[in-house]
Amino acid sequence: MNKWTDLFLLHPLPEGWLNGLLFVTFGLHLLFALLIVGTAVLGFVFFLQDWLDNDQPGQHWNSKFLHTHLGLKSLAVVLGIAPLLLIQIRYSYSFFTATGLFAYAWLAVIPLLIVAFLLIDGFNHSMTSRAWLAMICGVIGVGALLTVPAIFTGALALMERHALWAQFGQSGGQDFATLPALGPHWLLRYLHVIGAALVLGAAFQLFFSTRNNPEKTPRLRSWIFGATLAQILIGIPLLFTVAAELTWIIVAALTVGATAALLVLWVLRPRQSASEPAPRPVPLPAPRSLLWLLPLAFAAMLVGRQFIQDGAMNPLQAANDAYRAERAKTMDPFRQPSLDAYAFKLKTVYDNGDVIYDQACAPCHGLEGKGDGPAARQLIIPAEHVADIRANREYVYTLVRDGVPGSGMPYFRLYDREKIEMVLDAMGKRFGMFGKTDVPQDREPESDAMIVWAETCSVCHGVEGEITAFGHTLLPPPPDLQQYTMTHSRALEVITNGYPGTVMPPFRHLPQEVLEDLTVISNTFRAVK
Amino acid sequence: MTIAMDAVLHVVISHGLAIGFMTMLILFQTMTYAGKGPHWARISRSLLGPAVVVITSVGAVTGVGIWFITGILAPEGIGSLIHLFFWPWFIEWGAFTSEVILLLFYYYLWDRLAEKHPGRLTALGWGYVTMAVISAILISGILGFMLTPAGWPWGQTFDQAYYNPTFAPQVFLRLAGGLAIGSLLLTAWIAWRFKGTREERGSALRLAGGVFLGCVAVGAVSAWVYFSRVPMTFLTHWKFAVATSYMSQKPDFLPALNAVAVGVLCLTGLVAVLRWPVVCRILCIPAILLSVFMVMEFERIREFVRGPYLLPGYMYANQVPLAEKLAVDETKASYLPRMRWVDDNGTLPPDMVAGKALFAANCGVCHTTVKGGLNNIGIRVAGRTLDSLNAIVSITENLGPFMTPFTGSEPERLLLASYIYMLGKEQGYIKIPQAPKAPAAQAAAREAK
Repeated sequence: MNKWTDLFLLHPLPEGWLNGLLFVTFGLHLLFALLIVGTAVLGFVFFLQDWLDNDQPGQHWNSKFLHTHLGLKSLAVVLGIAPLLLIQIRYSYSFFTATGLFAYAWLAVIPLLIVAFLLIDGFNHSMTSRAWLAMICGVIGVGALLTVPAIFTGALALMERHALWAQFGQSGGQDFATLPALGPHWLLRYLHVIGAALVLGAAFQLFFSTRNNPEKTPRLRSWIFGATLAQILIGIPLLFTVAAELTWIIVAALTVGATAALLVLWVLRPRQSASEPAPRPVPLPAPRSLLWLLPLAFAAMLVGRQFIQDGAMNPLQAANDAYRAERAKTMDPFRQPSLDAYAFKLKTVYDNGDVIYDQACAPCHGLEGKGDGPAARQLIIPAEHVADIRANREYVYTLVRDGVPGSGMPYFRLYDREKIEMVLDAMGKRFGMFGKTDVPQDREPESDAMIVWAETCSVCHGVEGEITAFGHTLLPPPPDLQQYTMTHSRALEVITNGYPGTVMPPFRHLPQEVLEDLTVISNTFRAVK
Repeated sequence: MTIAMDAVLHVVISHGLAIGFMTMLILFQTMTYAGKGPHWARISRSLLGPAVVVITSVGAVTGVGIWFITGILAPEGIGSLIHLFFWPWFIEWGAFTSEVILLLFYYYLWDRLAEKHPGRLTALGWGYVTMAVISAILISGILGFMLTPAGWPWGQTFDQAYYNPTFAPQVFLRLAGGLAIGSLLLTAWIAWRFKGTREERGSALRLAGGVFLGCVAVGAVSAWVYFSRVPMTFLTHWKFAVATSYMSQKPDFLPALNAVAVGVLCLTGLVAVLRWPVVCRILCIPAILLSVFMVMEFERIREFVRGPYLLPGYMYANQVPLAEKLAVDETKASYLPRMRWVDDNGTLPPDMVAGKALFAANCGVCHTTVKGGLNNIGIRVAGRTLDSLNAIVSITENLGPFMTPFTGSEPERLLLASYIYMLGKEQGYIKIPQAPKAPAAQAAAREAK
């Protein structure tokens, strides 16, 4: 089997490397994503607190604090590209299927992020000057930002539960939140992500933004403490929703993570700074131990998460790879012939009337213009013998451009005007299509034929060969004989035998002389003009 | 439509702002560093913040958006590209990340460095430009492959795929185009908003306009080289690609519009170089609009003309590999069993469910099925009969040279034809002949004649 037959079978890296890279890059992306969510939420909460307390210097600190958002979010976005790239290789099947099922929400991430980023920037800029504007920007911006992890966790939860895909797809995703196997897990997972964002966001700012404002440390310390506590409380029921997937490795990783989280609580436990109250209480500094405890908790939890995900998606991916390999085997023998066809296609340039006629018209009208192309066999109304048409060029142009309703003749507005003109040129040259009408000089129609025309033919074709009002109601309508005729022999054939599938009936019961005369009459209108 | 809007927005911002505009700002800052006066850096400083916000918020996110949308529209296509071009993309990610980090440093450290260490600031700036250029170069190889894989389908080596004929001209075209849009935006800003002495404004206008004119010239040459390397079988559809069915019936419209656009752009640059701020102000507005139009036109042509192929020589636009189509044809196999997902919401009879699934697989990538939708199939089948639709589906590739062929068996083709016939009827585009409303009146009129 040629692995190039299906590019999905081409692996740029061994699986282990892909897993490792995916883990590291996703971890980096998630870290910055959590930092922006945490920073934005905390910035907004602090803004509200200080606004209510009328604390203007506080707002300046908040604004400085939020100023980091621009950098953090830029990194979060750009770091997200690598895991996006990698997951499309490592878990192509689950990723494309789940995001496809989740399409609308998945795509909503883009406008949501744009709105969130722009408005959070606006929030930051108006914070110290126009509080109301800041309030509006903050509510919408932070709200939009908080929606994004909900979508990501939803997509990932669905990705890992392929048993639900069919049910999810059938309902169009409407019962997403209420699916018992999905809803609770999704909700808890989302809250867990937000909790992590608050822990990491507060910790980042504790080390980054309090150097010149030590009075702010208690606020951030208590946020880390509270959010870590919430993480443990949310984590327990979340663990139950994935209980079926747990293995020893996962349990070990989660235990390390939980222990680290408990140690964070211990380090940050509320306590008196000194036994004797100092005249001015000195805020406790940022504990250095957080610098290894929090990354440890983060990494351990991420490892646990990765193993749960691998357990769910690996077998599926392997099955899909096997399916693709099997399919590629059936395609292999046809690779060379398909390339030959492609090479031919590259040589076929639609820039001249002959090619366009041979490619686009001949399948029905035939290379000789006798309506005998291969596709014409499938038509109830036979394709016109274009070789026998004698008509005005402008009229044929409109027929080609707009098609003939009720027949197989499609519109060719899918060619630009120059191409249509080229094909008209080609038909003019090949078939003499725009030549003189074919009327025998020595024949004057007798009155019998005139009467038939006036009483029968003119119902559709008009006394003067024009399309009557009734004719216009037909599908397909008759041609305008003032602009469109056929060679004498072809017109005689149509009048004698009718035009199958249309309203034009056969007149073979009439005497041959009358048929000949009718043919002449039908061809006089254009000649007169 | 979503992808088109997202992509155009991304191209305008990533090329125009992230490459072009930022390069101009860094160039201006360098002028001050080189001792040409403080007003250059003043211009850069006042525009840096907004530029960074737009680049990092809208530009970066719409870039990721292209991934999101293509992953949903064409998972097989984008998935194939990712498997083939993993390394260029991965390295490009490195370039992106460095680009963002350097941009952030440039932005956050400006106030600290501009006074004391302007040289370091300048170095940071040009480091950023280097990374931006590298990422533009890296992506051009992949974009070029999608139109001109040249020998790759036969040889199937990475080098053939990546170093394809339109790679180099596209690099120059994208860089020149980006710098042109960036310098045009800066010209417009200087003409409209600059506050300073006349001489200062004049010199700034002259530099921005000069860069703009130069870029238009480089862009024109590289566009010429680029298009000369696109196979004629694709290129011949360019007018239809841009003008679509109705406007393409006016053959001179598009060339004339392009000529006017180039004229306006050259004139704007010239006026800026001549330091006529008032005329420049007026000309900048149509020039900006026309340059966005030209970006849209270029991307539209590039995406459309390769027509039936998503990846020429490998995969059709509907994500069916060329070899699979032939395998299905030759073995007279059915295509439905190969489809793993069929949308059945229980409201259609089984034949129509099958027809709908075949439509989704064969046609859904370009045609919608909703009245008023983009390229709605209902309008496309207007006036046709069921038998003719069956015939037309068998020759789509010939009829519309940018349409994919149908993949499936003969009975399946009829299922598909029945489905689109039903849609055409439902939407009122296929009419069944009706008896005239007042046959008696018609007869009377005939008698009177």
